[in-house]
Amino acid sequence: MKKVLALVLAAIMVFAVASVAMAEGGKTLKFYAWNEEFKGFFEKYYTLPEGVTVEWVIVPSDNGAYQDKLDTDLLNGEQVDMFLAEADYILKYVDSDYTQDITAAGVTDFSNAYEYTVKAASDANGVVKGVSFQCCPSALIYRRSIAKDVLGTDDPAEVQAKLDSWEKFNAVAAEAKAKGYYMTASFAETYRPFSNNCTSAWVDENNNLVFDAQIEAWADQTDEFIKNEYTLTAGIWDDEKTAQMFADGKTMCFFGPAWYFNFCMGNAQDPEKGCSGDWAICEGPAAHFWGGTWLLMPAGTENADIVADIMNTFINNEEVCSKLVSEEKQFSNNKAVNAKFAADESYGSEFLGGQNDIAVFAAMTDNIKWENHTIYDQLLNEGLQNNLQEYFKGNVDKETAMANFFKYVAEKYPDIVLPE
Amino acid sequence: MRKHKGVSYAKWGYIFIIPFFVVYILFTLVPQLTTFYNAFFENYRSGLKQIGPNYVGFDNFIKLFTPDKSGSIGMIKYFGNTVILWVLGAVPQVAVALLLAVFFTSYRLNIKGQQFFKTVIYMPNLIMAAAFSMLFFTLFSPIGPINQIILSSGWADKAVDFLGMRVSVRLLISLMNFLMWFGNTTILLMAGIQGIDQCLFEAADIDGANSLQVFFRVTLPLLAPILVYTVITAMIGGLQMFDVPQVLTNGKGTPDRTSFTMVMYLNNYLGTSKNYGMAGAISVVLFIISASLSLVVYKTLSRPYKN
Repeated sequence: MKKVLALVLAAIMVFAVASVAMAEGGKTLKFYAWNEEFKGFFEKYYTLPEGVTVEWVIVPSDNGAYQDKLDTDLLNGEQVDMFLAEADYILKYVDSDYTQDITAAGVTDFSNAYEYTVKAASDANGVVKGVSFQCCPSALIYRRSIAKDVLGTDDPAEVQAKLDSWEKFNAVAAEAKAKGYYMTASFAETYRPFSNNCTSAWVDENNNLVFDAQIEAWADQTDEFIKNEYTLTAGIWDDEKTAQMFADGKTMCFFGPAWYFNFCMGNAQDPEKGCSGDWAICEGPAAHFWGGTWLLMPAGTENADIVADIMNTFINNEEVCSKLVSEEKQFSNNKAVNAKFAADESYGSEFLGGQNDIAVFAAMTDNIKWENHTIYDQLLNEGLQNNLQEYFKGNVDKETAMANFFKYVAEKYPDIVLPE
Repeated sequence: MRKHKGVSYAKWGYIFIIPFFVVYILFTLVPQLTTFYNAFFENYRSGLKQIGPNYVGFDNFIKLFTPDKSGSIGMIKYFGNTVILWVLGAVPQVAVALLLAVFFTSYRLNIKGQQFFKTVIYMPNLIMAAAFSMLFFTLFSPIGPINQIILSSGWADKAVDFLGMRVSVRLLISLMNFLMWFGNTTILLMAGIQGIDQCLFEAADIDGANSLQVFFRVTLPLLAPILVYTVITAMIGGLQMFDVPQVLTNGKGTPDRTSFTMVMYLNNYLGTSKNYGMAGAISVVLFIISASLSLVVYKTLSRPYKN
């Protein structure tokens, strides 16, 4: 009797699923992301097979909300066919059983992808579980008119020569201040250039919290910068900083990759007030990257073939990668395509006054490292900056700020061992 | 034969209140008991790994009340913050609401356009707290309109960091809570006053009582039950204060966690690590505080007017 009942129920379920699929004319894939960026590229440049549709689940990443949603759905075995992850927490997914080997699914050619993007998506045994559709070397973005005033030149090579170490950078900050400018517009502006060059991870093998010398160096530099008013106490994404990117801004340097100056800086937010063309980029004092979006393949997907094809398209399809550069102002994750644009003398960015940004970024990629990452990076980086900001603002002393940071860590990650 | 001795209507009473009890047990009592149960377990997530649940006895509570290096206990500090924020908002809220309710219901004043005013004062409550805090966040940001006014009229030569100073953050939070809730309280109290027999006011008038005397000797004593209800609900709401400070300070309770409320603390444990043990322990403490405070308020406010 029970068997019959089970069979009947199963038959009903199969019928229900089949009828839904038929009614929609095929299957629906579920992709997870924290913003609309990749969704836009995907809809423009990728043609899905007949009858297949994609449902996007988009949750903002602030305060770890995206990770919370994704984790819950992965743990509950919900349908997830592909999800996006950022450099700061990609390891959590790559180093777990919730993602699968993409080489088995047909993504095998990484010859054109930049090494660090492949390494970031590989687990401890070197199994590749995803790809990035962009490469994000981060440059020093400077205001040409202010550089001319402070350094006497706006030529990228000469500016780079004057700013290629932190000593020089700090010295120039004093000169900029003397002329009434700010060197940077946020206390956390130089965080990434330092933190990307850490020689140890945020936690060691015994889960102890570790402060790398680079993080200390950032805190010391920022201390100086705040005291001498070389920078502002605004956060990286604050309006106060954005205001400095407009024509009447007084700040010389910003740090960021292609996506930052094309989509996030003042010009993108308010073109009328922006000063497009008055900018240029160079490598700056320390090679680093910032962000980047990886496409990962969850272990539970039943549509690995389609997902693999999407991944192949965004790293190996020359036409699509070229469009990402020329139409979407991305620095693609395809060396051959980038080299083509780098060598093209007629190619240049309007925002950067005609400078070929692809050539600059292509030269920078060799120095980018992917090492010393943990699953905790996003919230530890955010938490340290937020808590130290109060110290930099002068609201609390440094000890209290650090104590508050430790409280925050204990609340977010109970398994991290805090220093005594 | 004895069957038809009488018709019992009582059972219909019980049947009619069943829906409430079913909903209450399912959505309030059961979750509450599970929360109590969870408070005694180590139960959280590290990345994609689940740790626990392991029974740890009172460890979570001990952790909650262990002082840090500087000697302050998180839970007590956040309770203090919550109380300060609540008092700053609730005292003016009840006072203003009481005054408005008396004005609106006074047959002597007979204010015109009552409907209009009632709608207007209730309006802020219709806006989502999150949207309301975002509005204040923008208004008072270092480059926001308030600072632009201050700078352009020369009252200060540097932008005032309203969201970085303890006093201003606390005042802003209280102001928002006040604006959002005084309309609601006014309407409740008006209903209470309208429930009082008009003859009593007229009798007091004839006896020559002035407005103050009427207020303190007639209105207030007869309003006591509603007032107690208002104060208790406002207090429970205040203890659970979350949305306004969370959005205004972006979950940080800046500066130096002085606008960090108990529920924000709880929320920090629930986000990311899904730490049901610690969050459960905070909930239990919160429950005990709410229950005992409600009891105290109920006893003290209703005693003097009891016959």
